[in-house]
Amino acid sequence: MNRMRKPNPTIALFPEASFGAALNCVGIAQALRARGARPVFICHAGFTGVFADYGFQEYQLPTEDRLSDSERQSYWQAFVRRHLPHFRLSPADQLETYVAPTWEAIVDTAVDAEAPLRQLLARLKPDAVVLDNVIMFPAIAASGCPWVRVVSCAETELPDANVPPYLSGLATGDAARAAFERRYLAAVAPAHERFNRLRAEAGLAPLPKGSFLEASPDLNLLLTPSIVRRERTEPLDPDRFVYLEGCVRSEGPFEVPVFPRDGGPLVYLSFGSLGAMDVGLIERMLAVFDRLPARFIVNVGGLRDAYRAVPDNVYLDAWFPQPSVVAKSDLFIHHGGNNSFCEALRFGVPSLIMPYCWDGHDNARRAEETGVGNHLSRDGWTEGVLERAIVGLLADDAMRARLRENAAHMALKPGTDVAAQAILSLIRT
Amino acid sequence: MQAAARRPRTNHLDLAQRILDVARQRGFEPGTHLPEQQIASLCSVSRTPVRAALRLLAEQGVVQWEAATGYRLAVDLAAQAAVTTELPAAEEDELAEAILRDRSARRLDQTVTASGLMRRYNADRKTVLKALTRLTDENLLDRAPGQSWLFRRAPDDPEAQGESYEFRLLLEPAALLAPGFRLDGARAAALRQGMEALAALPDPAFDTREFQRLDIEFHGMIADGSANRFITDALSDHLRLRRLPGIYAGINVFRLKQSLREHLTILDHLESRQYEVAADLLRVHLRLSRSQRPQAASRGAPALFGMISRPD
Repeated sequence: MNRMRKPNPTIALFPEASFGAALNCVGIAQALRARGARPVFICHAGFTGVFADYGFQEYQLPTEDRLSDSERQSYWQAFVRRHLPHFRLSPADQLETYVAPTWEAIVDTAVDAEAPLRQLLARLKPDAVVLDNVIMFPAIAASGCPWVRVVSCAETELPDANVPPYLSGLATGDAARAAFERRYLAAVAPAHERFNRLRAEAGLAPLPKGSFLEASPDLNLLLTPSIVRRERTEPLDPDRFVYLEGCVRSEGPFEVPVFPRDGGPLVYLSFGSLGAMDVGLIERMLAVFDRLPARFIVNVGGLRDAYRAVPDNVYLDAWFPQPSVVAKSDLFIHHGGNNSFCEALRFGVPSLIMPYCWDGHDNARRAEETGVGNHLSRDGWTEGVLERAIVGLLADDAMRARLRENAAHMALKPGTDVAAQAILSLIRT
Repeated sequence: MQAAARRPRTNHLDLAQRILDVARQRGFEPGTHLPEQQIASLCSVSRTPVRAALRLLAEQGVVQWEAATGYRLAVDLAAQAAVTTELPAAEEDELAEAILRDRSARRLDQTVTASGLMRRYNADRKTVLKALTRLTDENLLDRAPGQSWLFRRAPDDPEAQGESYEFRLLLEPAALLAPGFRLDGARAAALRQGMEALAALPDPAFDTREFQRLDIEFHGMIADGSANRFITDALSDHLRLRRLPGIYAGINVFRLKQSLREHLTILDHLESRQYEVAADLLRVHLRLSRSQRPQAASRGAPALFGMISRPD
């Protein structure tokens, strides 16, 4: 890589419309900016302001917004009503109920974004594009600059004979693998066929069944820290695949609030923005928290008013600077989102994972397999089971010591810096 | 709440604050002599409470007592806008803060009763009623039938935050533009110093609570400077809601610092009496703070929009 580098290259980051990918890219963009590059964000309607809040220029994709504010609110209420029961199903039973319709919606996004994205990239002329998504946008391949794939999900997103299937939550070598794969391919086939038609129209080769995003020929970044990394039958080419050891953004400080019933270890609960809508589940958990000699910080999204008589050892709020909260916590209860999982590892905090969909199942399984946390299904727990899981993890000094040692190792080489260096190494004059 | 007997009396605390306000308004410098009789007449009270209030200020190091000369001002009030925060809290003030904190965390319902609060906080009726009166005076609570009180709607949900910004966009520029606006120079100087010091802190050391104090003080100064008393009253009542816990949660340090810079630019124009420019900048500042952000999003579902508060 002896190429001369442009002094202030423009890097267009294009995360999917979720906070996980968005904030992961913020971390990378902060490191790019620190190295003199000009990171800008291409964002979906509705994410405007998220990146500007961190000081980055935003370019909103001018997709056709079909919903008014009240229609969008109704859409969401219906979405939650429809899918909450599905979040209690096994990963295999979610394939037809949640995964297939979700892939349909993701393909819709790619179709809708194609024309405006082409126009925007032609205007922006970035020196590289960073895509943090689960689907390919043909406009990126056509942009004429190097593109970087950030594997935003668990490592299972990149298939291998020795890696359990994506979204399965299965252990390595589980006999159920073949049946899951068959069912997955059948469930997503209609969305996949539609996606391949989009690719063909854009002049891109079709992808194999079940695959919606190819590896970048230039650079692929994986968040997976080595403590949970998997042995692959076919190792990834280190020139094109770079592991980041997590990718945690820097946030402002967090001051632990005063609790009327103070004292004891600090536990942080966040199920992500979608998981916060499962008010019933969180209410059941609060009843257990009330009995425990610990303090609990709970992310309830915009639904604070749905809660009453919150226990004195619980503090709930709409949003937290998560990395700064995790850094002060003794236990992190989350949904297995890849960012949350990496943040727990980065700060040496055990995870209690209660997944509801997607790669949360894979991370939950992996946390248990590698001894960095515990896994609890969202539906099959009793108060006693949850209490024992929390108390057990808080008392597991051996796990904590191992996690702290690993966190110190991760801190030596921040994933955001590794990502920024790797991205800048692609830039030519 | 049991240590009440050792706490200063509310009226002494109030008087101590008034003494500081008078000293600041009159531009008293460090070392200025504070004769009890003069202070008593400036504050329209007798000498006995003045003595107690000065003793309280001496305990905090704000004034100094010397046998030969009596009390002297020991600090530069122009550089210290928040001497009040250094004063010890009265029992009912502490209880009022606990009530607000617990309401914000939804440990208290929207309706509370005096007897329920007495039990919860192990406090006597008199203290609870004083705390409730304070919160009612500040327009945070409304008296409801019987011995119950109702929390007013706070701008801590997306919809209420949106309405709050709309209200402020209407009134804050109007506060500046009503003929006769007067800038409190000493207050502005203290604010500038505080905001510059906060903006200079590195991100990991940024103090959100100090930002909240400066933000409310900055917008309060604009409200207080208005020549239209109804605008002042309406804005002051509304700005009090921003003191509630949780209003500033979840705001990014980058935006907080950007906000401080916007405050400082507005202040530049206020100090050079360019009120129309300042009003325009204030509008932009409030609009930037009132940006739409998604509340929830996930794979396969469009983002849920909502008005999420950003700082001003």
